[in-house]
Amino acid sequence: MRRLAYLAAIAPGAALAQGWGNVAQQTEEKGFSWTDPLWPSFWMAWTPVTFALFCGIFGAIAIIAALEITKYRDGIERTGVFGLTTTLGDRLFITLLGSAYIFLAWLGFVGQPLWAPLGLSVVWGIFCFWKV
Amino acid sequence: MKTENQKAWLFVLPVLALVAFNALVPIMTVVNYSVQETFGNNVFFWQGLDWFEQILRSDRFQAALGRQFLFTFLILIIEVPLGIIIALSMPRKGMWVPVCLVLMALPMLIPWNVVGAMWNIFTLPKIGLVGYFLNDVLGIAYDMTQNPFAAWVTIIVMDVWHWTSLVVLLSYAGLVSIPDAYYQAAKIDGASPWKVFRYIQLPKMKTVLTIAILLRFMDSFNIYTEPFVLTGGGPGNSTTLLSIDLVKIALGQFDLGPAAAMSLIYFAITLLVSWLFYTLMTKDDAQ
Repeated sequence: MRRLAYLAAIAPGAALAQGWGNVAQQTEEKGFSWTDPLWPSFWMAWTPVTFALFCGIFGAIAIIAALEITKYRDGIERTGVFGLTTTLGDRLFITLLGSAYIFLAWLGFVGQPLWAPLGLSVVWGIFCFWKV
Repeated sequence: MKTENQKAWLFVLPVLALVAFNALVPIMTVVNYSVQETFGNNVFFWQGLDWFEQILRSDRFQAALGRQFLFTFLILIIEVPLGIIIALSMPRKGMWVPVCLVLMALPMLIPWNVVGAMWNIFTLPKIGLVGYFLNDVLGIAYDMTQNPFAAWVTIIVMDVWHWTSLVVLLSYAGLVSIPDAYYQAAKIDGASPWKVFRYIQLPKMKTVLTIAILLRFMDSFNIYTEPFVLTGGGPGNSTTLLSIDLVKIALGQFDLGPAAAMSLIYFAITLLVSWLFYTLMTKDDAQ
């Protein structure tokens, strides 16, 4: 009788330790995925992909800001092929906005996959920084 | 060109912090939502760029976008010339100046939803003043709750009533800053009123007009409350502008993914058009 009482006391302990319903289940080790939620309990719904995207944009802004405020560039402007007077920051803006439109146009008219518009965007970016 | 004093940036920091919280964090969240599907409860499933593809190819979005461009085009083409004409005919000196300015500023002091409600009651066919007058006194069949054309006329007249004053006040500010010497020189040369307008007044108003057109473009492109209260996007879908459609998708159907994708496309359009306006209108100054 006493043994039974001990058992009754101990048995739920094992279950509680793992949580009810999870007894004898092993948590699967999942590898890193670019598209899984990054911080599932946080509200902004980050994924590694979108996080990398914003890191890229803010990184580009930071690099250009650093160049612009130091003596290397110091807000140098030039007039490019479209007759626009642009600084580095303006050219980054035109590159990013143009790339967004290249991707949207491709999605609307052609569809996925998006390797071709990626190439076009890179070419557009090089053109912007070189000529605009 | 070199900017001498960079300390001014420090004073911009508080605004930057504010913008970070009310614009940057929400827009990053919208980007995250636009590539995922959610059924609530903070659980998300990866969707890729499918929502963008779906929205861009949907007839519903294209129709709303078309209506939005038509609305903004009509607003600008009416309000800007009308605002300039009113500003030109306002007195520059004397006791009537403050009276005119206050009268002009009045419509802008009324909140958007009140403007919508006011015009709704004002133009209802049976009980509204305008509705009754047009239908029963003049005998013109007018029913903005049934007829799409009447609904369009009503929302445009409402917006013109509400926002032309902004163009007027900004143009007026440009006009009063012109020194008398310019007008005297024009008089000596025997310039016609049109030449005075074209070569003296218009160039001097250019900066403020740029701001006025930009503000009117952005406001009318993002307009929501007034048409929503006035017509509710109807009759049918005839006055469902982009923002009304967006809110229907986001909060009516709770399709947060497609709504996020749609709002990013919407944002890209606003950004491009504003940038184009600004660049084209300030291009000559830079050279």
